[in-house]
Amino acid sequence: MTAPALRLNHVAFGPQDARILDNIDLQLEEGHFLGIVGPNGAGKSTLLHIICGLLQAADGHVDLFGECLSRSSRRRLLGQVRFLPQRQESMSSMPVKVRNVVGMGLEDYHKALWRPARHSEQIAHALERTGMTAHADEDFRSLSGGQQQRVRLARALVSAPRILLLDEPAAALDSRAQGNLYKLLRELCDETGMAVVMVEHDIAAISDYVNSVACLNRRIHYHAKRGETIPEQVWRDMYGEHMHIVAHDAHCIGCVDHESGALESEQTDAGK
Amino acid sequence: MSGFLSSQVMLEALGPATLIAVVASSMSVMVLAHRLAFLTVGVSHATLAGLGIAVVLSLPLLPTAAVSAVIVALLLGVVSPKRGMNEDAATGVLFAGAMALGIVLLSGASRHEVDLFGLLFGNILMVSEDDKFWLLCGSLPVMAALLWAARPWWAMAFDAASMRAMGLPVQGYRLLLYAVVGLTVVMCVKLAGIVLTAGLLVLPAASAWLWGRGLLSIWVLSLVLSLAGTWLGLYVSYMFDLPSGATVVLLLCAVFLLSRSAHWLVHHRKAGQSH
Repeated sequence: MTAPALRLNHVAFGPQDARILDNIDLQLEEGHFLGIVGPNGAGKSTLLHIICGLLQAADGHVDLFGECLSRSSRRRLLGQVRFLPQRQESMSSMPVKVRNVVGMGLEDYHKALWRPARHSEQIAHALERTGMTAHADEDFRSLSGGQQQRVRLARALVSAPRILLLDEPAAALDSRAQGNLYKLLRELCDETGMAVVMVEHDIAAISDYVNSVACLNRRIHYHAKRGETIPEQVWRDMYGEHMHIVAHDAHCIGCVDHESGALESEQTDAGK
Repeated sequence: MSGFLSSQVMLEALGPATLIAVVASSMSVMVLAHRLAFLTVGVSHATLAGLGIAVVLSLPLLPTAAVSAVIVALLLGVVSPKRGMNEDAATGVLFAGAMALGIVLLSGASRHEVDLFGLLFGNILMVSEDDKFWLLCGSLPVMAALLWAARPWWAMAFDAASMRAMGLPVQGYRLLLYAVVGLTVVMCVKLAGIVLTAGLLVLPAASAWLWGRGLLSIWVLSLVLSLAGTWLGLYVSYMFDLPSGATVVLLLCAVFLLSRSAHWLVHHRKAGQSH
């Protein structure tokens, strides 16, 4: 029996009396696509940062491929993990060609200059999968926000990671590109066995593609499998009593309150 | 030109100046990419403390200054905003403190021991055999480190969080970068002095930045522009009997302004044609 790709054991973060994350237990097998939803400040990004070693858990531990993530195993284990942070965290004004941005996702890229880098096929493949082949020789800065995001996704995919962590990857994408992104991730999970953990706000948009959804607000309130309805009480526990649950159906285009004509506040799509 | 080339002093200065131009322009790419311009100013001023210690203890000037500059740069590298002080403020503190220490230590030295004007504004025309040896000793590790770590340094400047998340030892590379910048600063002090060193470590890449399309093209262009500025600067300083370091930095400033103007003109014309 193969070890799970990812396992979180009683992970906690933050001071003892004011935990940002508390008692997080989670297990992901190969090929599993997990969506994480929760309100702002729930600790979703923090959890991703802990998994990829950017933050150290205050308690508990992270196992990757059956081995504990530690100082000594860090480079070897994280070499098989890629993280796509939120867009605003890594904006740059440097002149870099798109193909070189993608190349940065390869271990090979970071070798000394006197060692020849042979990775053009992998870069071309990653660009093709994200639909950015035509832009390979353009300056990264000249691309639109959505195109930049697709290039960054190609950089995350170029090394064929075994685990991919994404923090709101669809934030800069239009609805068609969002659908393509989720579809691509689903295909990669099925074809290559890559495990995906994706933080997103719109549960309705991802529910067709993910295997399960974890509802997070400091702790995991509920871990729903595909097709499973998340109880209304879970949403209330996470978002508070003042939230308004809206059914995501034909009568909910834009989720507009027709009486007042205003967008409803504090709303959450609670599944189809 | 023949007078310049027949001048023994100028010919002896040309080699070290060229070496400094190569090293400084190469590192200037990383200084710009990592936004370390203020750090180079701080470290160059902090070398005065190292020079003061060298004079008081009768140690060789360049190696002692190099060690102190590397220590100061590494101290700035380990400063963390989480510990209540950011790099910017720490540079300001070390800059002033080390400069003050240097002035106090050097105040007791005689004029024969210290050429203060040369320290502050550079004097490549008074380069000794010892200086040439130490310049070479400094250049080799800087260029070796650059060839070894240029790509990870470039990638870190682009997106440090993602690089760290893929297991790259980002903090180690960062400390190496700071140490190498410290070492480069000391070498530049010989040509441009404490006050003007930042010019050699910022202007070449700043002039090339708008034209380059990636690490290598910016690097090569910085190198070419820096060599042109340095050689022309030395020639002008010889012709008009001007201070060499300041003239080189002025020429590099002129190259920078020309580069910006040419870039503006080219893009203005392109924009005009597209309408």
